Amino acid sequence: MNLQEILAKHSKYLLLVPGLIISLFVVIIPLAILIPISFYKYRFPYLIPEFTLDNYVKYLLSERTGTILLNTFGLSTLTCLVCFAVGYPFAYTLAFKIKSPKVRTYITSLLMVPFLIDWSIRTVAWISILGERGLVNYFLITTGLSSTPQKLLFSPIALIIIWLQTYTLFMIFPIYLAMQRIYPDYIWSAQLLRAPPHRVHYEIIFKLSRPGIVTGFIFVFVSTLGDFVTPSLWAGGIQTLGLSIASYAGNYLWPQAAAMSSIMLIITLAALIVLIKVGGIKKLVYER
Amino acid sequence: MKILDNLLKIFVIVFIAFIYLPAFLVILLSFEKSSSIALPITGFTLDWYIKKPVGYETPAFISLYYDHRFWDALRNSVYVSFATALLTGLLVTACALALRHRVRGRDVLFYVLLLGFIVPGVMMGLGNTFLYSMLGLEKSFWSVVLINVAYIVPFGLILMMARFDPDLMEYEQAAGALKASPLNVFRTITLPLIRWEVISATIFGFLLSWGELIRTQFMLKGTGTLSVFIYTQLSVYPLTPKWYAAGTLISVIAFIGLAIFAFILSRGPRSQ
Repeated sequence: MNLQEILAKHSKYLLLVPGLIISLFVVIIPLAILIPISFYKYRFPYLIPEFTLDNYVKYLLSERTGTILLNTFGLSTLTCLVCFAVGYPFAYTLAFKIKSPKVRTYITSLLMVPFLIDWSIRTVAWISILGERGLVNYFLITTGLSSTPQKLLFSPIALIIIWLQTYTLFMIFPIYLAMQRIYPDYIWSAQLLRAPPHRVHYEIIFKLSRPGIVTGFIFVFVSTLGDFVTPSLWAGGIQTLGLSIASYAGNYLWPQAAAMSSIMLIITLAALIVLIKVGGIKKLVYER
Repeated sequence: MKILDNLLKIFVIVFIAFIYLPAFLVILLSFEKSSSIALPITGFTLDWYIKKPVGYETPAFISLYYDHRFWDALRNSVYVSFATALLTGLLVTACALALRHRVRGRDVLFYVLLLGFIVPGVMMGLGNTFLYSMLGLEKSFWSVVLINVAYIVPFGLILMMARFDPDLMEYEQAAGALKASPLNVFRTITLPLIRWEVISATIFGFLLSWGELIRTQFMLKGTGTLSVFIYTQLSVYPLTPKWYAAGTLISVIAFIGLAIFAFILSRGPRSQ
């Protein structure tokens, strides 16, 4: 066998090599490193490669960690639910109610464009909306609904609104992709058999778009989990897991940051398993 | 049902308006005369863009045109985003072409590629920081690009594979049966049919890396990219309309870049 034949035979694997190399060196190895470091001793500013459980005992078993975990799960789950409440009808309208493919393409690209505005500025822009002299308060005061400016920023609600604006995209796209794959014949035949509209929707559209829904939930969940910038600015002092990792890291407390990260790693792995087993993300991508 | 359909369409429009609300206010308030971010605006000025500095202002009050660090960061951002976009386009295409076949271990390979998006940003940044210090590597331009590529490829892959023409493989097999060489099949059949998917994956790579902050922040070197630069400036100096002017300029530049890109593509020899 000459070289060309060998290349042709294995071309499918060769095409994957660059992607897998990046995944290995930028994602898998860095994550694997976090685990041993979380057991290291630390004397500022040096890591000492001796085994200790201190990082876990001192920082993870404290009462604070419980609150942090509760906050993190609560905020991320709520954001997922809000994103779903908005993203599902959005994706549904896009997939079934807008007939022209051109308009669909326009709408999907319109959704992406806000990413062109810089992250930090997109975040601080909310001062001019929810701030004491922002758009909402301006509206409330000029219409006489409220006489004093309301404090809207620096609260969990502000955080969820901002996350909704930033991450709904990751909810809408998977659901839309799943809905696009539903054969119209299924819906027609159900209608032909006189199924009531709500049952057509639930039994066919909702059930068949489930891989997209689960994928959307996981994507929004992990995005909010890893975002420490938005909570640090607008959550009003609420601690989240991402924020505490970032602040340990910012203070060069590496083993503590690594110990916190290993909790996050467990959550992430759980999310991945849900994505694979419950969601069946591959149904969304290549299995028909 | 008709009413419900119309309500749904109105909802889509309202939600898009909501997504654009911050951008709209950023543009509006970048022309604000006073130095506070407040509505209603008190007057119109271009000072935040082009006013010549007196010499003793803090960076929050130097107009954009004269803030040379801003321009350094902008240049870095353009380089990073272009490199990320090209790499993302190439990698997504290569992986998608491989994964659409029933290769052995396809599921596992796909999940491994997916990891970059699933792993929360803060962990990826921290892990990479450790890796660099253990290997004694300097953080560089390419470390920012690589961490962005690892993050963006999975989502691009999902978008691209979901949009592949279902008949694509049959066309290829037909060409193969007629004894076309694999290279010829790729050049005359595969590539023209997936051209738009490749382009949109590339643009997607550009957009997501253009504003990325969480992962990029850990890979900081020098002035950094725009998102990191503005984030650090904002944590030190007060918020003035100057930063809104920066936001306006950043989005205008990106829009123009995209428009030129689209224009060139639409005039290409292969366009239909």
